[in-house]
Amino acid sequence: MASSSTSLKRREQPTTRDGDQLIVTPLGAGSEVGRSCVYMSFRGKNILFDCGIHPAYSGMAALPYFDEIDPSTIDVLLITHFHIDHAASLPYFLEKTTFNGRVFMTHATKAIYKLLLTDYVKVSKVSVEDMLFDEQDINKSMDKIEVIDFHQTVEVNGIKFWCYTAGHVLGAAMFMVDIAGVRILYTGDYSREEDRHLRAAELPQFSPDICIIESTSGVQLHQSRHIREKRFTDVIHSTVAQGGRVLIPAFALGRAQELLLILDEYWANHPDLNNIPIYYASPLAKKCMAVYQTYILSMNDRIRNQFANSNPFVFKHILPLNSIDDFSDVGPCVVMATPGGLQSGLSRQLFDSWCSDKKNACIIPGYMVEGTLAKTIINEPKEVTLMNGLTAPLNMQVHYISFSAHADYAQTSTFLKELMPPNIILVHGEANEMMRLKQKLFTEFPDGNTRIMTPKNCESVEMYFNSEKLAKTIGRLAEKTPDVGDSVSGILVKKGFTYQIMAPDELHVFSQLSTATVTQRITIPFAGAFGVIKHRLEKIFESVESSTDEESGLPALKVHERVTVKQESEKHISLQWSSDPISDMVSDSIVALVLNISREVPKIVVEEEDAVKSEEENGKKVEKVIYALLVSLFGDVKLGENGKLVIRVDGNVAQLDKESGEVESEHSGLKERIRVAFERIRSAVKPIPLSASS
Amino acid sequence: MGTSVQVTPLCGVYNENPLSYLVSVDGFNFLIDCGWNDLFDTSLLEALSRVASTIDAVLLSHPDTLHLGALPYAMKQLGLSAPVYATEPVHRLGLLTMYDQFLSRKQVSDFDLFTLDDIDNAFQNVIRLTYSQNYHLPGKGEGIVIAPHVAGHMLGGSIWRITKDGEDVIYAVDYNHRKERHLNGTVLQSFVRPAVLITDAYHALYTNQTARQQRDKEFLDTISKHLEVGGNVLLPVDTAGRVLELLLILEQHWSQRGFSFPIYFLTYVSSSTIDYVKSFLEWMSDSISKSFETSRDNAFLLRHVTLLINKTDLDNAPPGPKVVLASMGSLEAGFARDIFVEWANDPRNLVLFTETGQFGTLARMLQSAPPPKFVKVTMSKRVPLAGEELIAYEEEQNRLKREEALRASLVKEEETKASHGSDDNSSEPMVIDTKTTRDVVGSHGPAYKDILIDGFVPPSSSVAPMFPFFDNACEWDEFGEVINPDDYVIKDEDMDRGAMHTGGDVDGRLDEATASLMLDTRPSKVISNELIVTVSCSLVKMDYEGRSDGRSIKSMIAHVSPLKLVLVHAIAEATEHLKQHCLNNICPHVYAPQIEETVDVTSDLCAYKVQLSEKLMSNVIFKKLGDSEVAWVDSEVGKTESDMRSLQPMAGAASPHKPVLVGDLKIADFKQFLSSKGVQVEFAGGGALRCGEYVTLRKVGPTGQKGGASGPQQILIEGPLCEDYYKIRDYLYSQFYLL
Repeated sequence: MASSSTSLKRREQPTTRDGDQLIVTPLGAGSEVGRSCVYMSFRGKNILFDCGIHPAYSGMAALPYFDEIDPSTIDVLLITHFHIDHAASLPYFLEKTTFNGRVFMTHATKAIYKLLLTDYVKVSKVSVEDMLFDEQDINKSMDKIEVIDFHQTVEVNGIKFWCYTAGHVLGAAMFMVDIAGVRILYTGDYSREEDRHLRAAELPQFSPDICIIESTSGVQLHQSRHIREKRFTDVIHSTVAQGGRVLIPAFALGRAQELLLILDEYWANHPDLNNIPIYYASPLAKKCMAVYQTYILSMNDRIRNQFANSNPFVFKHILPLNSIDDFSDVGPCVVMATPGGLQSGLSRQLFDSWCSDKKNACIIPGYMVEGTLAKTIINEPKEVTLMNGLTAPLNMQVHYISFSAHADYAQTSTFLKELMPPNIILVHGEANEMMRLKQKLFTEFPDGNTRIMTPKNCESVEMYFNSEKLAKTIGRLAEKTPDVGDSVSGILVKKGFTYQIMAPDELHVFSQLSTATVTQRITIPFAGAFGVIKHRLEKIFESVESSTDEESGLPALKVHERVTVKQESEKHISLQWSSDPISDMVSDSIVALVLNISREVPKIVVEEEDAVKSEEENGKKVEKVIYALLVSLFGDVKLGENGKLVIRVDGNVAQLDKESGEVESEHSGLKERIRVAFERIRSAVKPIPLSASS
Repeated sequence: MGTSVQVTPLCGVYNENPLSYLVSVDGFNFLIDCGWNDLFDTSLLEALSRVASTIDAVLLSHPDTLHLGALPYAMKQLGLSAPVYATEPVHRLGLLTMYDQFLSRKQVSDFDLFTLDDIDNAFQNVIRLTYSQNYHLPGKGEGIVIAPHVAGHMLGGSIWRITKDGEDVIYAVDYNHRKERHLNGTVLQSFVRPAVLITDAYHALYTNQTARQQRDKEFLDTISKHLEVGGNVLLPVDTAGRVLELLLILEQHWSQRGFSFPIYFLTYVSSSTIDYVKSFLEWMSDSISKSFETSRDNAFLLRHVTLLINKTDLDNAPPGPKVVLASMGSLEAGFARDIFVEWANDPRNLVLFTETGQFGTLARMLQSAPPPKFVKVTMSKRVPLAGEELIAYEEEQNRLKREEALRASLVKEEETKASHGSDDNSSEPMVIDTKTTRDVVGSHGPAYKDILIDGFVPPSSSVAPMFPFFDNACEWDEFGEVINPDDYVIKDEDMDRGAMHTGGDVDGRLDEATASLMLDTRPSKVISNELIVTVSCSLVKMDYEGRSDGRSIKSMIAHVSPLKLVLVHAIAEATEHLKQHCLNNICPHVYAPQIEETVDVTSDLCAYKVQLSEKLMSNVIFKKLGDSEVAWVDSEVGKTESDMRSLQPMAGAASPHKPVLVGDLKIADFKQFLSSKGVQVEFAGGGALRCGEYVTLRKVGPTGQKGGASGPQQILIEGPLCEDYYKIRDYLYSQFYLL
């Protein structure tokens, strides 16, 4: 039954299964920085990594290219960290698209995500049409986001994934995804250098097959942390000593906390600076302090030990600043203000008023996205355009000291060398930097076994994985380990990407499924003699055994070893059988027969027939039918000398043994066709093999 | 073929003793839990002491004494040296529990089984895992994966899954399926058909668990009733386990009702406990982490609870009714015992037990019904020595010191005599060997001892004492002195150093008072006096143990339906009861071993791996059933290039197989399905379902257990020949998949 239905559908199945093709498509952050979003598909499972917004654009233009995919097919969405360019289009994606998969991020990321995006919605001054989402969407999205702890393995629809510490910012994670044994590592933004409060990115225990890795820093090498911190504090110290003001435009969360830790410690060590105020102008960062104070488990040992004595995030020398109105610009000071790109807001206001004084300094503390003012002034232009449209000379010193906590070239190449992934996909980097990185990495992996790819947005990278499907045969079927040529039949149970083969009656032992038998008993009114039924049945079915019911002593018949016909009373007979398609068919025909007897009672004449004779006649009939059918199929069919049928088609000759079904022919195609045809004819003539149950 | 698994209980079977079990998986010995009781009875550890040195890994499940109390002692005295695995909260709170135990004990006895350093050492090398983290064991345990999963009961509490070759051994004791204020329920039911389940029968006979709301109401009513009449309420609690739930209930109730009665949480480590708990939000219930994510409300920022770490603070508290949560729950030691003795004779007071006391403890005695009218308790107190005693002590100490010195010198004399001989042969007589200097002191007799101090001693080869001399030789080459570039590298860590060193030790943040107590080396002694306490205060016991009750345990085990089941940790009666129940209803292999009786629970499962060829798979049509897919395969065994068995499609036609109906029919669900299809259905007697007017449908044979463990279902459908019959049969078929 099952086998025949498979053979019918066989042709519909494509010969090559598309499941082994793995596709990675950046929907954002492909050869650019911003709006990280990478789509991945393998064996019918679809995963989206990150869901960011491009900080330099607004409205729909800032979104990743979601049109490229069908959001409803995404099984899992994994967010690496809370930065705008990695998480900010999440409310849009969750609330405004057909996406109905599951979303995961770490605890700290989730806690900060909400604060950050609520702030983002408030701050971004765009028209209502351009608003991608509002606060309500963010709150709704909170209910759909699930949390995952570092190293915790989660399985969704057969996709296994877990995350590693990524450094970068609090709660940042690198995701390792395992689909049917093929492992993909998505680093997000990561840093292999331990800093004041964060651990360095971990080196995964397993080597991935594909590594999707950020390339923000390209081939740059970072200065050591110590030197960076010294440069930073030196610039600040000398500027304020000369009576200048220091502006540090920084993103509210992430690196800002690190810088504040540095400043607070520096001030504590230099009492002469204590009369110079440090402001940090971010109500958002203030709100997030509770998060920083709570998730110390995600930070490094240094901070955890410090926490044991006093909370390092309670700053002694740093004052919060709510708005520019509260700020009296009277003398040297240090102000850390948002936004980091100097697009607008407090940092821009301060920049505008300070930029023409050469005593002042501006420290750009991290990577800046192309198209922002902060990026522009790194190249130290002579003039800048102020917010009011006027131009002003840029006299203030501009220092670029990167605290960005993105892996530099040295970190990236050692990381990759440790992992040795056969496929490397570079994302999250400017096209030029990325190409340079690619070239340089090629020289690091000269053996040619490593593919390095730099897809642009919406450009798919295709890879093929010859994933072997392994099954475990268990239970009774496995009692004897089979040799080549033995047959194995049983139920194949697929759960996720694991397969098990087992005997049907052990299904309930090894899986949560169970089997059932359905026994049917049906009563039919029948007033005639039971012998009549027996006689009729014998004429139709090959096997009818009579017996008597042990309890009631009434006669019973077992038809075709399947269906028991019993005389229940004078007026009723009953049929009992165990459900399966063939038995159902047999019983149906018995029912039809019994009903017909009832109707035709008067006409019944018991014919005295020789059983042997009828057998012979049957045989002859069968032969006739087979012959006729073969003729209709092949044309020239003759009875050969040795009782075999000789079939000629286009000059090819085949001999068919009617008893065994064996075919002899020199033409293999013909041979196969005749064999199949004969098998089918036989099963049509004798549809119910007696031995089916064996 | 299967992974060999043996289970040997070391403590805690057929009684309520602490838990400690040896589970050996293919020769790799796991010690799961390492518990002790509040009485620190060394006889309980006899079995452990015999095997301690053979242990390869220790897994801890809950942060209380019963589950990890013996760890410091075993590490120190019994030769246990294996790596320990636990979740972060179990590690941290377990450490604090042990501190509290030690400090409580030290107050009332000359406790010498282990010291604070032993506790630190034991917990220093705990490998911390998160829930569902699959940790691949290194070295000898290659191929074994361990993972802790949520158990409920206590913060960080774990059920352990040990996996080897796809076979699971699950250890789940003291789990709680019910969600609580600060904890999620266990995920035990997400495991199905593990090879072995080791679980406790602790609550097997305990059935009438009151609903949470009602219980909370009674709890709070009882407390407020006593407070309102001016009484005090004492809750004897554990250090850092179940007490967290109680704190939350009280905190919540107090802020809702605006009560002004003070609540005190008094243990030696209470403030550290709460500080750490505040940073463990990831491990708590969804609602707690959610409230933090949305409003940054940390549930353990306790506004109504005052944390105290010594009794004086409580005595200095303003008089009036108050609630005190104090350790230990057993009333055998700790502040709770003192407070109990003070408060017991006032009928207005209430002692509210929230868990069954350990066997043979004061708490257990007070929980008996009817409660005793009088109890005899030995109260011990550590008092500083004074007057004559102090003088006597100092003299004794001095005498001991002198004896010690004398003994040492004698020993050293012996040693140096021996070493002198070898020193004479030394090839470099000028080398100053500071290591041997100590020995030399003795060689010149005790007379020198007062003159010579460390580093001011003669080399063994010299005849008379001399100043130490170090030859500061430096290497030269043609460019001058050879320098070591490392000496000139600017050290990155310099800036961190200050911070790194403050409190970098394991105990991190011990309360100052506690620290002073620890460092208190003033001579003191323990004085004991026996007194009889009249118990006139109310004694109430309520169940805040956070364990699943008997019924849930049974349905949980039935759901998990392990191939083999090992029962531990319960009184004989409960063990026997659960064993019989499981034998009858769940699985045929149930073991309840005695102490040191090894049961072999190696699965007798046969299995081999085959590769499924593409050709075969392209012809298989899966049918989806729940979260798995099923199909029938007929195949022939072949070999792949890598000489692995692979399944190929049959060359000839497959012999037909008996059709199989796959599916799990629930009569009740089917009834609903039928009525949704417009068929009149009702239950007739004997579990039969009457469909329409004539057709009946019933399950026959042994009543199907949940999880289908009992075998295939048998369903009987009968009726007269009519249209309804065929219609209902079709509906019935629609519930199954035919393979």
